[in-house]
Amino acid sequence: MTINRREFIKANAVAAAAAVAGVSIPTNATNLITSSDITKLKWDKAPCRFCGTGCSVNVGVMDGKVVATHGDIKSPVNKGLNCIKGYFLSKIMYGKDRLTTPLLRMKNGVFDKDGDFTPISWDAAFDIMAEKAKKTLKDKGPTAIGMFGSGQWTVFEGYAASKLMKAGFRTNNIDPNARHCMASAVGGFMRTFGIDEPMGCYDDIEATDAMVLWGSNMAEMHPILWTRITDRRLSSPHVKVAVLSTFAHRSSDLADNSMIFTPQTDLAILNFIANYIIKTDRVNKDFVNKHTNFRLGATDIGYGLRPEHPLEQKAKNNGSNAGDSTPIEFEEYAKFVSTYTAEYTSELSGVSVDKLNALAELYADPKIKVCSFWTMGFNQHTRGVWANNLVYNIHLLTGKISTPGNSPFSLTGQPSACGTAREVGTFSHRLPADMVVNNKAHRDKAEKLWKVPHGTIPPKPGYHAVLQNRKLKDGELNFYWVQCNNNMQAGANINEEMYPGYRNPKNFIVCSDPYPTVTAQAADLILPTAMWVEKEGVYGNAERRTQAWYQMVDAPKGAKSDLWQLLEFAKRFNIEEVWPKELIEQDPSVKGKNLFEVLFKNGQVNKFSLDEIPEDRLNDEARHFGFYLQKGLFEEYASFGRGKAHDLADYDRYHQERGLRWPVVNGKETLRRFKEGSDPYVKAGSDFEFYGHKNGRAVIFALPYEPAAESPDDEYDLWLSTGRVLEHWHSGSMTQRVPELYKAIPDALVYMHPDDAKKRGMRRGDLVKLVSRRGEVQTRIETRGRNKPPIGLVYMPWFDASRLVNKVTLDATDPLSKQTDYKKCAVKVVKV
Amino acid sequence: MKKIIQIGWQTLKKPSAYFSLGFLVIGGFIAGIIFWGGFNTALEATNTEQFCISCHEMENNVYEELKTTIHFSNRSGVRATCPDCHVPHKWTDKIARKMQASKEVWGKIFGTINTRDKFLAHRKRLAQNEWTRLKANDSLECRNCHNFDYMDFTAQSPRASQQHSTSLASGDKTCIDCHKGIAHQLPDMKGVEGWE
Amino acid sequence: MKIIINIAKISKIAIQTLIVATLFVTNVIAENHNIATLRASTSIDTQATPSPIANVINKDIKQARNYPMQPPVIPHKTRNYEVNLNSNKCMSCHSRSRTEESQAPMVSVTHFMDRDGNFLAEISPRRYFCNQCHATQTDAKLLVENDFVDMHTLMKAKRAAKD
Repeated sequence: MTINRREFIKANAVAAAAAVAGVSIPTNATNLITSSDITKLKWDKAPCRFCGTGCSVNVGVMDGKVVATHGDIKSPVNKGLNCIKGYFLSKIMYGKDRLTTPLLRMKNGVFDKDGDFTPISWDAAFDIMAEKAKKTLKDKGPTAIGMFGSGQWTVFEGYAASKLMKAGFRTNNIDPNARHCMASAVGGFMRTFGIDEPMGCYDDIEATDAMVLWGSNMAEMHPILWTRITDRRLSSPHVKVAVLSTFAHRSSDLADNSMIFTPQTDLAILNFIANYIIKTDRVNKDFVNKHTNFRLGATDIGYGLRPEHPLEQKAKNNGSNAGDSTPIEFEEYAKFVSTYTAEYTSELSGVSVDKLNALAELYADPKIKVCSFWTMGFNQHTRGVWANNLVYNIHLLTGKISTPGNSPFSLTGQPSACGTAREVGTFSHRLPADMVVNNKAHRDKAEKLWKVPHGTIPPKPGYHAVLQNRKLKDGELNFYWVQCNNNMQAGANINEEMYPGYRNPKNFIVCSDPYPTVTAQAADLILPTAMWVEKEGVYGNAERRTQAWYQMVDAPKGAKSDLWQLLEFAKRFNIEEVWPKELIEQDPSVKGKNLFEVLFKNGQVNKFSLDEIPEDRLNDEARHFGFYLQKGLFEEYASFGRGKAHDLADYDRYHQERGLRWPVVNGKETLRRFKEGSDPYVKAGSDFEFYGHKNGRAVIFALPYEPAAESPDDEYDLWLSTGRVLEHWHSGSMTQRVPELYKAIPDALVYMHPDDAKKRGMRRGDLVKLVSRRGEVQTRIETRGRNKPPIGLVYMPWFDASRLVNKVTLDATDPLSKQTDYKKCAVKVVKV
Repeated sequence: MKKIIQIGWQTLKKPSAYFSLGFLVIGGFIAGIIFWGGFNTALEATNTEQFCISCHEMENNVYEELKTTIHFSNRSGVRATCPDCHVPHKWTDKIARKMQASKEVWGKIFGTINTRDKFLAHRKRLAQNEWTRLKANDSLECRNCHNFDYMDFTAQSPRASQQHSTSLASGDKTCIDCHKGIAHQLPDMKGVEGWE
Repeated sequence: MKIIINIAKISKIAIQTLIVATLFVTNVIAENHNIATLRASTSIDTQATPSPIANVINKDIKQARNYPMQPPVIPHKTRNYEVNLNSNKCMSCHSRSRTEESQAPMVSVTHFMDRDGNFLAEISPRRYFCNQCHATQTDAKLLVENDFVDMHTLMKAKRAAKD
């Protein structure tokens, strides 16, 4: 090898520069690798693993490993964009502490509630699980068995779990973590429209003139929808954005009208807007007369606390009558809201009269098309269903609904809270396609479609999320399986209810998770679980878009999907062990079969052969069970909704599309429901039809402002709101293991106004305790971060496993939706 | 009444018959000092942050915004108060600025910026006044604390040291050219140089 | 002589293997006892003392991306940088027209594309809020390592296997 002078100088210059920069350069600098057989990546589409926006991502695989992810340019949702979490999806499966073997608490070789986690085989894991479940069934019956699932389950997983619990074990004690997230939205939809999920879609953003955020920080929690809102606002200067919140945050940065209101007074503001519309004579009378009814709802409905709590003792209508209502006329409604004047509402809420009027005008002005967006601000609210009802009121009074740009839009927190939790009906009171367990016709239909005997599904709603924790603590719920969520970190009032519940010696707790979470730490048995593109899946996003993905990589050896776990567990139960004789007599063919055979090898779920799976595709579960399991589950599930305004397309089509918005009728998706010409279910000539109710009308509810369950007082002098952050998904079990996301925001700090800190002799960085009547958590003060609370309120996110803010929160719920209010409780902050 | 005034005036007009010239000179000097001191004390009283934020326009807008910035809370606790940046330190400039301030008193009386919205509507003009002043005096109020001669570039981030050692050193740029909006929120920056 | 060296070598390797094996075994056991990897090994009813607020890294040194499409992390402080209706502080250095003076990297060309893939004359409003994809990094110590392997490493391994 010869080297000329010029090259020599060049090489030395590079080396010198490298030395200065502290970089070492290999002596033989390598050429780029360009050969296509080495550089080639296998690309495939999948919905993002995180929020309810439902972005599509392209996933790049090389040698069985995910090596890259980016926003899917073909997806109508995100058009090539991802948020910071989405861009780092590639790394979520590769945390060093991925679980690869079942772990059981053991002492001296046997299970012991106080033992140490010890690796066991899957066989041994199912042995102990089946033993505990069978003993529970024998001693206490099906109501002592329960499951806590997820809006992050795939549709098949939620469906299989629901079927296994409700038809197999005959218990309705299955609830998803979507109870914490969307239950109030569901309650709002069912009450106002009689059918769940938004009528509009994301396309309304590009068609609207005004967007109002009600207690939602979309800039952090729905970042890609925020890019669409930002795009609309900045590229069309006439568009206005109003942001209502109890503290200033990143969404306030785009607000033309930013309003900080006193917690709970959103109810009054909503009624004020209705009053404003009526007082300025801008009610759309034609629409209101043809398409709506007015009703007066029951009030003083309590706070969903334990019955012996003083607040429940005091409440008049906190029983089954909490959801009652009586018909009224428009005049009575107008009189009802007339007390919510601008002045009264301003004094109550702390928002200026000018700002309130400007906000109301966006709704009242018939020339302005308006979208409302909300998530946890409304839903995590002891009057969450009311808040949902009240926002529909103002859209219905003005007829601003179901048309392009006019959309009251309930955002979803989780990737499949809609698809799995709501549509599949994995709630303790629900069945697929908006049906409920306490309706005989609904049970009959489900039993028929599931090919199980009449009377299999119990009629009494099971324990909802918060009640499950109370029943665990009380020792009435004894076999409990948690899948695909981290409730020990996410649930409220850990100290008084959940932790004692999990650790109650009467109970056996199973936790399925890819990583050792706080919930796993509290469990008795941990099952290592496959995640995201390690399995085939279907998710349903907030705009009714159903999206599918193929398995792209193998799970780490030893980790199995939730679906595999459910079905393998089902094999452990002979039908005689779970069903009473009367049921078996109805269908003697089930005799001698196990639950897997009765529920999943029923001629429907196992209808599709492995040949239907493209040959180059991975599908560990299907190949394990010997049939195209996912397609079978999907098609059986879809049979519930077809022809019932919940139509889904054929399974295979979802692998071709970037999702479709249901109802999918004659192969065509539906953008806006309830509007003639856009929704095939609306009768010709009716213009609008709210067909969820038999009379085709939506309900405008007269509901008042009522105070929060707990407000600051002399001792606990601050409001506490909890929530999420952009960089972390929920409890951080995935994102805290991605170095870039962890380093972006490693710890949950308490955000506080500088004057509140000063008044207490504190400053940024001080180690403090947040103390409530229920517990305390230590953290450090942030006075200048991205969230800017007003004086009197502090905010602490809950993503941090080492600082469990839910030791402090109150497990008060909306008595109608049973959803916890994580946004309001009283705390004090003291120096440690 | 008229008589009394006349008598008083006559007395003042009359040359002194009782006091020595020396006494008058020294006494006048002392009185002058007292008057001068009083004037300056009063002037300085208007030069405190306490005075500035006694108006809610200042307290609720610019002061509230200042609280989260590095000029309020930082490593060493040396903080800038309103007059440090907004009142010239040289006496003649200070007096000139104080005379301008009479306009602000006018604004206060008539409530030109007595709500947040009104303040925001005027923010660009108000900010531009300050930028123009600082540009014209080569960021004098910045330099009262941040003296170029004593900057340790090695203690700065590479980005900062690069820019300070070139553009700032050559006099091509002055502090305010790059450091706008460091203590208060920015107005609409459309059309502002460097922000297009 | 040669033999002695070889024996020394072999025994060295053996000792190394032994050490590695021991480490591995203790590691596994430790993991089994301690699954509170994000909780500094504390039980749920207790809490480790929270670490101080981590400092934002301000070294201006670019960090290699894990894959080409990854948004780069911000290698400098952004305290009080405003990005709102009034102004975008980031773009006062990173916009195309400002980069000559600032010597900051220009925002990528993708940022000029609208929803339909058309290039605009200025950064697309959908990309206006930089902090939705780009974040600063603190000096916080990782609680859990990540085993992600980048494509370059895999390709090099493949090429080495081929050669």
